[in-house]
Amino acid sequence: MTAAAQPAGRRWRRSPLAPSWQKGYLFASPALIVMIAILIYPLIYSFVMSFYRWDLSAPSQYFVGLSNYRDTFNSLGFKQTLRVQLIFSAVTIIIEVAAGMGVAVLVNSKLRGLKLARTLLLVPPMIAPAVVGLNFRWLFNGQYGLVNGILRYLGLPEAPWLSDPNWALVSVMIADIWQNTPLLVLLFLAGLQSLPQDPIEAAQVDGASPWGIFWHITLPLMRPILMIALMLRIIDTFRTFDVVWLMTQGGPGGATSLITVNAYQLAFQSASFGHAAAVSYVALAMSLLFLAVLYGAPWAARKLRRNS
Amino acid sequence: MTDTVQDRPRIRRRRAKLRDGITPGLVIRYLVLIGTVLLTVFPLAWLVLTSLRNSADIFAVPVRVLPEAITFGQYIAVFSQYGLNGYLWNTVIVSIATVVLVILLAVPCAYAMARFRLPGAKVIVSILLIMRMIPVVALAIPLFAVFASIGLLDTLTALVMAHTASKLPVAIWLLMGFIQDLPKEIEESAQMDGASTLRIIVQIVSPLIAPGIGATAVITFLFTWNDLLLALTLSSSEASQTLPVGLTNFVSQFGIDWGAMSAAGVLMVIPTLIFVWFAQGLLVKGLVSGAVRG
Repeated sequence: MTAAAQPAGRRWRRSPLAPSWQKGYLFASPALIVMIAILIYPLIYSFVMSFYRWDLSAPSQYFVGLSNYRDTFNSLGFKQTLRVQLIFSAVTIIIEVAAGMGVAVLVNSKLRGLKLARTLLLVPPMIAPAVVGLNFRWLFNGQYGLVNGILRYLGLPEAPWLSDPNWALVSVMIADIWQNTPLLVLLFLAGLQSLPQDPIEAAQVDGASPWGIFWHITLPLMRPILMIALMLRIIDTFRTFDVVWLMTQGGPGGATSLITVNAYQLAFQSASFGHAAAVSYVALAMSLLFLAVLYGAPWAARKLRRNS
Repeated sequence: MTDTVQDRPRIRRRRAKLRDGITPGLVIRYLVLIGTVLLTVFPLAWLVLTSLRNSADIFAVPVRVLPEAITFGQYIAVFSQYGLNGYLWNTVIVSIATVVLVILLAVPCAYAMARFRLPGAKVIVSILLIMRMIPVVALAIPLFAVFASIGLLDTLTALVMAHTASKLPVAIWLLMGFIQDLPKEIEESAQMDGASTLRIIVQIVSPLIAPGIGATAVITFLFTWNDLLLALTLSSSEASQTLPVGLTNFVSQFGIDWGAMSAAGVLMVIPTLIFVWFAQGLLVKGLVSGAVRG
C-alpha cells in the first residue's frame, strides 16, 4: 500500500458510512454460491468417493477406506504412470525454465523486431493444446511427417517418433516445451526489465564478465520471478492432458500416460470412478508436494546455515 | 514493457552503445531472437500450409515444403463433410455465455473482497488459489456424475455451468488486483453523495477497471474456447460437442484426415490470433499480473 492510500483506508473505517461486511457478502455471494455448488461440492464429493467403491453402472457404493489408493499404488500401470509423470515434469520444467531464462537474458536489449517477436511468442501459450497435440502428431508422423522428411533429406536416420515408447515420451515433451517456453520468456523479459540497472552497470564498469554478471547479479535478483515460473510450471505439468490425449492417448503401451490421462481412462474407459477420483487426487497431492519442496528447500537451507 | 520517462536516459545510453558498431554479442543476440521466432512460427506455418494442400500433395513422399497448388478444398470439406459448423456454433455459444456470466459474477465478488472487510476473506482467497491448482480431470469426474444424476449431460447448459464455475477463481483473483490498485477516494465521495454500492460498482469502478475486465474476459474466453477435457467428459453427441472434441473425432471416426484436421485446427486458432494481435497488452497484463500476484 502506498503512503497516500494509508490514511484514506483509516478514514474509511471510521466513517459512519463504513460498509458492513454483511453487505459485502451480499455482493460476493452469487459468485461464491456458484463456485460452492459447481466447483467445491463436486470436488469434496469426489474426494469422499475416492474412499468408496464407486461405479456409475453399479448402484452399490460402499466404503473401502484407503483401498482405492492402495490399489492405485500397487498396480503396475500406475507405477509406469508415476515414472512417466516424474520424467515428464522434471525434464519439461528444467528445459522450459532454463531455455526461457536463456532466451530472455539474451534478447533483453534494444533489438530490432523484439516487439513483433513478443507478439509472436504469445501465440503458442494461448492456442488450444488440442491443436498443438494434433499438429505435432502430424509433424512427427512416421511416413509423411515433416520432421522425418527433413531427416531423410539430410541423410540422417529417421526416428519412430510416436510408435516407439521412449520416443513417444520425447515427442510429447517436445510439444509441451514448444507450447510453454514462450510464456516463460515473456515472464522473464518482464522481470528483467523491472530489475534495477545500477548493480549491473556498476559490475560492467568494474569489468565483470557477462556470465559473471548473469550468475552473481541478475540471477539472484530474478529469484522471485524464477520461483513464480517454477510454481506455475509445477502446477501445470500435473494438469497436462490435452496435448498428450491428442498426440498419443497415453500410448503406446502407456508410455505417455500422465497421471491425468490415467485418471481419465480409469473413469471414462474402465468406469472405475472411485479409482479415478483417487488418482486425480494423487496428481494434486504430488503438485502440492513439489511446491512444498520448492518453497521448503531454500527455507531449510537458510535454517541449516544459520544453525551451523 | 512500454518505455517510461525514467527509461529514456537508459535508452539513450543503449543507442550510444549501438552506434559503436556490430559486436559479436549483438550478433549472438540477433541469432537467438531469430531462432526463437522461427521455432515458434514454423510448426504453425506448417499447419497452415497443410490445410491449403490437396490430399495427394499431403501424402507426397518425399515431403514437399511448398504446396503444389493452393486449394481451399480442405476448408470446404470441413464444413460440408465433417459438420464443423455445429461444433463451431457450440463453442461460440459456450465461450460467450461463460465470459458474460463470469464477468457479471466476478466483478461484484472481487469488489466485495477488495473493499469490504469480509470476515473469512483470507480463507476465500486461499481457496481460490488452490482451485487454480486442481487438475481439471479431478473436477470432470464428479461433475460427470452430478450432471448425469440431474439429467444435464450432453447439454450446452452443463458446459456453460462447468466453465463458469471453473474460470471464476482466476477471474476474481485478477479483478481483485485491479480494484485494489484504484484509489478509494472516488468511491468514498460517491458514497457521500448517496450512491448505492451497486451504482458504485456499475458506474464508477467498472469503467475505471475496464482494462482489467477486458483482460479477464479475454483470458476467460480463450481458456473456455481451448478447453478439451470438460467438453470431452460432459458431452457425448454433436448436440453439445465443441471444436476441441471435434478434433478428437477427426482421429477416431475417420482415421486421420490430415488436411481437414489442419483446416479445422487453423479455424480454431484464428480467434486466438485475433486476440493476441489486438489485445496483447491486455493479455500480457492479465497473465503476468495474475502470475506475479500468485
